[in-house]
Amino acid sequence: MRTNSLVALWIVTGLAAGLAAAPAVEEAGAFSPAFIASQQKAIAPVICLLNFTAEVESQRTGETQKRSTRALGLIVSPDGLVMTHGHMQSDKSDPSNIRVVVGEGEDEKEYDGVFLKKPDDINVCFVRIQGEPGERFPCVTFASDGHLGLGEHILMFGIMGETLDFARGALTRAISAVIEKPRTTYCIDDAIPFGYVGAPVIDSRGRIVGVVGYDLAPAEGGELYVRSGHPLVYQAPLFAKYIQNPPTEDTLEADQPIAWIGVFSQPLTDDLAEYWGLPKKGGVVISTVVEGSPAEAAGIQRGDVITSFDGTPMRAKKNSEIVGFTKLVRETGVGREIPVKLLRNGQAMDITIVLTERPVSAKDAEEFVEDTFGLTVRALTTDVRILLNLPDETQGVIVRRVKSGSWAHLAGMRPGVIILRFGEYPVTTIAEFEAAVNKVKEARPAEVPVFCRAGARTGFFRLQPRWE
Amino acid sequence: MRASMKWLAPLALAAAGCATMGGPGEHAVIRAKNKVIPSLVHIRPVKESFASGQKQEYVVEGSGFIISPDGYVVTNEHVAGDSTQVRCVLYNRDEIDAEVVGTDRYTDIAVLKLKVDETQLPAAELGHSAHIEPGQTVLALGSPHGLSRSISKGIVSVTDRYLGEEGPRPAPYNTWIQTDAAINPGNSGGPLVNLKGEVIGINTRKLSGADNVGFAIPVNAAREVIGAIIEHGHVPRSWIGVRMQEMTSKTDDPSQRGVVVADVDPLGPAAAAGFAPGDVIIAVNGEPVHARFEEDLPVVLKRVADLPIGSPATFTVRRGEETQDIAVVTMEESDYKGEEVEFAEWGFTAADLTPAIVQAARLPSSRGLVIAGVEVGTVAAASGLRQGDIVLSVDGQEIANLAEFQERYDAINAAANRLVLLDVKRGALTRFELLKLEPGAENGDEAAGEVILDEEDSEEPNGEQPDEDE
Repeated sequence: MRTNSLVALWIVTGLAAGLAAAPAVEEAGAFSPAFIASQQKAIAPVICLLNFTAEVESQRTGETQKRSTRALGLIVSPDGLVMTHGHMQSDKSDPSNIRVVVGEGEDEKEYDGVFLKKPDDINVCFVRIQGEPGERFPCVTFASDGHLGLGEHILMFGIMGETLDFARGALTRAISAVIEKPRTTYCIDDAIPFGYVGAPVIDSRGRIVGVVGYDLAPAEGGELYVRSGHPLVYQAPLFAKYIQNPPTEDTLEADQPIAWIGVFSQPLTDDLAEYWGLPKKGGVVISTVVEGSPAEAAGIQRGDVITSFDGTPMRAKKNSEIVGFTKLVRETGVGREIPVKLLRNGQAMDITIVLTERPVSAKDAEEFVEDTFGLTVRALTTDVRILLNLPDETQGVIVRRVKSGSWAHLAGMRPGVIILRFGEYPVTTIAEFEAAVNKVKEARPAEVPVFCRAGARTGFFRLQPRWE
Repeated sequence: MRASMKWLAPLALAAAGCATMGGPGEHAVIRAKNKVIPSLVHIRPVKESFASGQKQEYVVEGSGFIISPDGYVVTNEHVAGDSTQVRCVLYNRDEIDAEVVGTDRYTDIAVLKLKVDETQLPAAELGHSAHIEPGQTVLALGSPHGLSRSISKGIVSVTDRYLGEEGPRPAPYNTWIQTDAAINPGNSGGPLVNLKGEVIGINTRKLSGADNVGFAIPVNAAREVIGAIIEHGHVPRSWIGVRMQEMTSKTDDPSQRGVVVADVDPLGPAAAAGFAPGDVIIAVNGEPVHARFEEDLPVVLKRVADLPIGSPATFTVRRGEETQDIAVVTMEESDYKGEEVEFAEWGFTAADLTPAIVQAARLPSSRGLVIAGVEVGTVAAASGLRQGDIVLSVDGQEIANLAEFQERYDAINAAANRLVLLDVKRGALTRFELLKLEPGAENGDEAAGEVILDEEDSEEPNGEQPDEDE
């Protein structure tokens, strides 16, 4: 279905909506009205509107409220796979009541949608249209090479707001920066309205090269999805695999587990190499070794410089180049003996390390919803321990949500507080918390002191249940 | 106490009613004002700030009042503390410089001495804050927004508001007089007076975003602090490293007496003596202590602070069903803000560690110093050093405190070293920060520009996660 022709055949229609050759693009790289009109006519059938219910979290209590919202969707396969921006899913809550509106005016048709699992390396989501058996949909085909040049003009098609009846609109922008490392990232030169987030991006040659995105993915330097604060183009090769093989529980879980070494690192800059009297060849300087990690077990020490990992030379001299090490570690198998070359006090050393599976992160941590007192708690995960700089002896569960008007709310408890003891019962795990709550519920005391850590300090909250 | 308040409250209300109708109330206000206002002082200190990474001076305006004919003046620590010079304008418009005799951050009190030989200055009369009642008419005198010689009128709203020891300005040792007399920036340090013209409080804080919710330090709490400052230059207090909570944080049972141990500083004497969170202290040196509500806490906290420094004290503690005596040797309480120094050649300011910082940063000892600020465009900024970083060693050598760091700094600068390595703790992480000094050169644009770019590369977009954790 793909073509390398300049006249991109980017709309396929199962319904045979043919596409005439696009008119020539103006020399300057901007788009002529005739070009824009023809592109819009061609692309309109693949743009859809997603109406859904999202859960919005209160910063204060961590409680969620449901909200009706919408997003721009792009049909990416004839069997009704829709791609949209990653904000459709926040934290653990999947969107619900998804309705997909395809077509406009008299051609408008509405379907149920099913949310698929969100990939973790690019901030997009996928929804499957629940069409009739065998029903085919018009869909977009992306250029396999998504290269864009600095200053190149791009064209996007999106949807206007509700007051404008979700009319389709077009927008032109230019590429304001091309960032080469750790992977090519294109920045758009000006703000993008909400209805264009996830919109198809067409280059000056008329090819659909990607979609509008907002957040950097881990491969771009962030562990979590981090708002870049700048509109970007997610070029097609980043998500092509998910169109080929849509992300479901099965496909994603079949992936290799993410490996973990348990260090924080910084690059061996030339200055640092000079200071330590090491060759100015770059490397990975271990700045922190996480307690209980594979790195600690292998004897890696703070100040060691890794020069080779599993046979791959490590030559990081800049912070951005550390990402290469990060990526390599993630993709290295779990349980295998990995040869590591390092420098310790200037002396070359060879060690072997066995990586473990990355510890569960807060996002995926076990959660327990307790209705009596109004507390939702999560297990304390390694990432939270590091983020909050928790002492090792701090064992407990962290409050994720406090139900408005609940006994916990009345006692002043709030998200982020770590419960160490509930009543007279020490709490170190979710199971212990659940057991403690159950014992307190049986005993029905008039007051329940809860010993907690909040920030650097500990103290008590007093719950005053009204059992009747 | 509470019963007597019920009796007196209607009287106070009646007095307030008279005041609003004019007549005798108005005369009383004017009489009180006339009595105290000659002692009123408009204060303009030049203060030092280190937050931007360099020592910077700025001028603030506040209020104060003369308490002795030879020229002692009381104001707030947040007005006159950390100042290099203090200019005062008396009520008769005389402009006189003053020296800072001493300050106490925990009660926010400073004592100044006017640089005059005169011994007949008009001193305000200090009253007794234990005798005040909610509803009683009070006057606030001072320089709101710099407008000197201003007076506003209101009533005492609450006599014993507890503002706690949390936040950037902990106030563990006193409750506060809450008043609806208008208090604005510039009123700080001015007197709150009763209709007898006696000072009953020092106007210090207001609740921002609220209407006429101001707070004054009760004069009874201030009197002792002022005396200690005049005698010692500061207020010596004992410290055992325990944070306390009121009894109602655990139980509303009024028969349960004492004060709850909420937190124990792992490096403090109480931890060494075996205190644990959840313990209930019921007596100190055999004398019972009790804080049922949070506003009862300052009395207990002060009891501990008033213990002889460096001497053993016996705490009777209830743990579960058992009662035991625990002996603790007290230490002197340190300031909650360490001394700050500018290291101009390297482009940052730093402060000594305090127990609170040591505990929050989970340091194994109180050795090190904390970066107070990093100046933009300097080698420190270029290295990636940040405000709040804790420096543990320089060129591999541990440093104990600011003074030791100063020695290392001077020696390195004298030796004209090109590179200096700092071992830094930032949250749970440690980092190596290499300062690239250019001996003989100013902190030039070239060097800074080059490395700042590098730093921007390194930043996570949200600036929170400095490294990759894998």
